[in-house]
Amino acid sequence: MELIINVNDIEYKLDVNPRMRLLDVLRENLGLTGAKEGCGEGECGACTIIMDGLAINSCMVLAHQARGKKIITVEALEQDGEMDRLQEAFINNGAVQCGYCTPGMLMSCKALLMNNPNPTDEEIKIAIEGNLCRCTGYIKIVRAVKEAIQNQ
Amino acid sequence: MMNEMNFKMPASLNELALNLDNADEKTYLISGGTDLIIKLREKKIYSGTIIDLKGIQELNYIRQIEQTICIGANTTFTEMIHSEILIKNAPCLVQAAEQIGSTQIRNAATIGGNIANAFAGADAIPALIAMGVKVKMMNAKGEFFLKDIDEVVIGSGKNSLHKDEVITEVIAPVLGHGYKSFFGKVGSRERVTIAKLNMAVVVKNNHETGVIEDARVVLGSLGPKAFRSDLVEIELVGKYITDSLQTEFEKALITQIDISIAGRSSRPYKREAVKALSEDAFSNLFGSPAWRCNNEK
Ligand code: FES
Ligand code: FES
Repeated sequence: MELIINVNDIEYKLDVNPRMRLLDVLRENLGLTGAKEGCGEGECGACTIIMDGLAINSCMVLAHQARGKKIITVEALEQDGEMDRLQEAFINNGAVQCGYCTPGMLMSCKALLMNNPNPTDEEIKIAIEGNLCRCTGYIKIVRAVKEAIQNQ
Repeated sequence: MMNEMNFKMPASLNELALNLDNADEKTYLISGGTDLIIKLREKKIYSGTIIDLKGIQELNYIRQIEQTICIGANTTFTEMIHSEILIKNAPCLVQAAEQIGSTQIRNAATIGGNIANAFAGADAIPALIAMGVKVKMMNAKGEFFLKDIDEVVIGSGKNSLHKDEVITEVIAPVLGHGYKSFFGKVGSRERVTIAKLNMAVVVKNNHETGVIEDARVVLGSLGPKAFRSDLVEIELVGKYITDSLQTEFEKALITQIDISIAGRSSRPYKREAVKALSEDAFSNLFGSPAWRCNNEK
């Protein structure tokens, strides 16, 4: 079934089985492998992307439900060879260890800052509550987001 | 045709009614997505018809019409959290929405979907029951009808809708003067029901006499379905708000747990957990000194 989908400001026309999740289409049809499949059940956030300005789990939406929406994936954070300030802050603060959670974590934080440029610590915690990280203990991630806020 | 998955994208209720014609057990409604996608994968469902409700813009609203609040079935929990109408008139629904899943889930999951899926831990249900909401549904003929939330939710993931029926709206009364509401939960976000307990309370306090005149206490995760606890409600109605009432309230809740889940391994945990929950409820509902009773006789 035909699907027209806008990802990172590019419009794609694809043939997609209605059963496919947005995550599958991003990874398999478009080769955007930043979003990861951790649990496939909405629990880990490794598959987080931004749809119409909001963070969602791409394992929990069908690809066809994303028709007509604007999707942003982690691949779009770097612009013209320049990292996003969030990415830089993650590196500076040791917020990336094994890196499995990082793309999802970055997208949750990006969505937060898009909607709320000056979040409180509590708001940062709520934003990343759905992103599991086994390595960093979250403190470094919160620190990184705060640095990114200051550098804006 | 038999072995493939069809996908319908109605843009209006009229189109949806047409799509619901011939609906059968291989017809799947999807709104937020969360629950259906897990089901399609777990049950290895490869064929049938998926009807995507999310494209129906006319099902996305929160409106107040005099003494009722109407919430379109496609409204997400994030939208509920930011609704001035709900913050003012139905705080327990906002509190329940805030505690559902994670930001990503609240951004996608809808009130209609949460009711239709009706799983035991579905956090919105106790608050909806305590608010006494009605659920509006539509059938394939495009006819609308209303049912109490209690009749719609069967529990354990089941609802009473026929295959050609769909939830279109939730209708909540504006709570009158003197009413307050609360929702709280304890336990982890994971789907381990053992570690979960939630409660919604709606009370009416007479400011002049200081007496509680009406109380609805709904407990979730103590069975296949959330329910109103008569024995806890009786403990509150007609009483002054005092610290000793809080103790009685907690005792009644523990009794209810003992009755509902006698012999379950989760009982000791839930007996403890309910103490924190009852304290939260009390301070949230009656916390301000003006509400606490000074004129106890
Ligand atoms: S893979 Fe989507 S939330 Fe875990
Ligand atoms: S860095 Fe390893 S899971 Fe987060």
